Amino acid sequence: MRDAPAPAVPSLPRGGTDWADRAVTAAVWSVALLFTGVFLWIVGDLVRHGLPHLSWGFLTDAPMDAGRAGGIAPILVSTFLIVGVCLAVSLPLGVGTAVFLAEFSRGESLPARLVRGSLDVLAGVPSIVFGLFGNALFSLYLGMGFSILSGGLTLACMVLPILIRSTEEGLRAVPDDYRKAAAALGLSRTATLWRILLPAATPGLVVGLVLGIGRALSETAALLFTSGYVARMPGSLLDSGRSLTVHIYDLAMNVPGGEANAYATAVVLVTLLLVINMLTFQIADRWLHRRITRT
Amino acid sequence: MRRRAVTLSNLPALMGLAFAAACSPGTEGAGSGDGTLEGRITITGSSTVAPLMGEVARRFEAEHPGVRVDVQTGGTSRGIADVRRRVAQIGMISRGLRPEEEDLDAVAVALDGITLIVHRDNHVATLSHDQVVDIFTGRVRRWDTVGGREAEITVVSKADGRATLELFLDHFGLRRDEIHPSLVIGDNQHGIRSVAGDPAAIAYVSIGTAAFESSQGRAIRMLPLDGVEPTLAAVQSGEFPASRPLNLVTFGDRSPPVQAFLSFAASERVQDLVEAQYFVPAPR
Repeated sequence: MRDAPAPAVPSLPRGGTDWADRAVTAAVWSVALLFTGVFLWIVGDLVRHGLPHLSWGFLTDAPMDAGRAGGIAPILVSTFLIVGVCLAVSLPLGVGTAVFLAEFSRGESLPARLVRGSLDVLAGVPSIVFGLFGNALFSLYLGMGFSILSGGLTLACMVLPILIRSTEEGLRAVPDDYRKAAAALGLSRTATLWRILLPAATPGLVVGLVLGIGRALSETAALLFTSGYVARMPGSLLDSGRSLTVHIYDLAMNVPGGEANAYATAVVLVTLLLVINMLTFQIADRWLHRRITRT
Repeated sequence: MRRRAVTLSNLPALMGLAFAAACSPGTEGAGSGDGTLEGRITITGSSTVAPLMGEVARRFEAEHPGVRVDVQTGGTSRGIADVRRRVAQIGMISRGLRPEEEDLDAVAVALDGITLIVHRDNHVATLSHDQVVDIFTGRVRRWDTVGGREAEITVVSKADGRATLELFLDHFGLRRDEIHPSLVIGDNQHGIRSVAGDPAAIAYVSIGTAAFESSQGRAIRMLPLDGVEPTLAAVQSGEFPASRPLNLVTFGDRSPPVQAFLSFAASERVQDLVEAQYFVPAPR
């Protein structure tokens, strides 16, 4: 069979295909180039305007004169805390829900359909709506006020759909043979999940995590109403803290002469995103490796 | 496994405890025995006033280490709503109080005026009161009608709820639905960018912001309003027709730290901060 000649390709209609092919190739290439061009333009613009104002002091000083002078140290700390709270809440919830959806419920059961339906709706809700919701629930009803905690929890609600969906996809991509083999070896369900399925689903989880962190770091609208505007070094999670994006928004839109520092802050934010993405993939690689060699 | 389940079930209770402990300092302020002030003040409202209040708050905290002042933003209407709901102790509003807001007490901290701006390359030297009204209501649609080049006018107006919009409507005796803008914007900076990028645009923005941006070489030009040149001095003397007070408002009784902050924010000790934010100190 392997040596048999390849089955005859049905003859394509000749004439006209040549230039059509070329046109499609040209179109695909120019779209790709256009996209790269836009990316380079954005990064180039950021670096050109922002880099001259960046210095070590910019990262370690508090903002002065409404952000026109000084640095962004308290804002960096607030941002890390907000994203930290968001992940601490959304990771366990997200992985738990994904495990429920992929491993503990049959595809079309009512609870699974319910959860999946709510996730799809949540994933499409604009962030400003999450902001209003977070403000009403966490800040006012639960009395957390404008705080890093309410900001982080609001972001967690926002990030959950992404996290759950990609972790679930990761779990579904694990071949059923693994589950059958584990069952044949008499492994408990927990052990199978913990030692085999979750490590094997790590790529999905990591993609969700990176997208989630990205969305959390770049969120502005939801945070204006929840974690607030205070640019002081936060003393606890119940203090209001300004995120990098809110700082950029305020400097660019509200403070005359704040543009230079807005650009510099944007450079920091973009660099942060890139570094976090790379670190997450690297850590996941190492973890996956260790996990599999040990088991 | 069992032990883990127990710890997890305790988590909410633990978080609650941590919460209560962290909340205990209290959000309302009070004077302690030796006359030093303690507490936390939350200020919300106008995004125009917020950067100024952030600076004032920092200086106030330096003088009163026991008081924390949190400045939030969201617009004048939000400031009023939050003060009434007692979510905030002080609201920032970038206009005067209206008759239906007499339940609030206001303290003026600075003045701001609105001015008309056009692109630097626009040669129209001045517009009369009626011409401005005609342009913003769409009766005049081309610059050549009012002595400019041949181009369609891009009318830039502010979004609903912005105090600058209300001040503009008030000054020109217009209603909100009479304005037919080509572009609706939010903040002053946004307005300045829109005009700097469009030689046929006209907008109204805060005078301090416009003065600063044009001194920085931004491609905009300020037009006189009813014949009065738009300068900060004209605003302070009261000669400039479209100016607005920037107020701090409170609802009901003021706690000692709030009272202290209000007097501080209206005093000469923050005059340099007011000027640094391109506002005009309120007459005292």
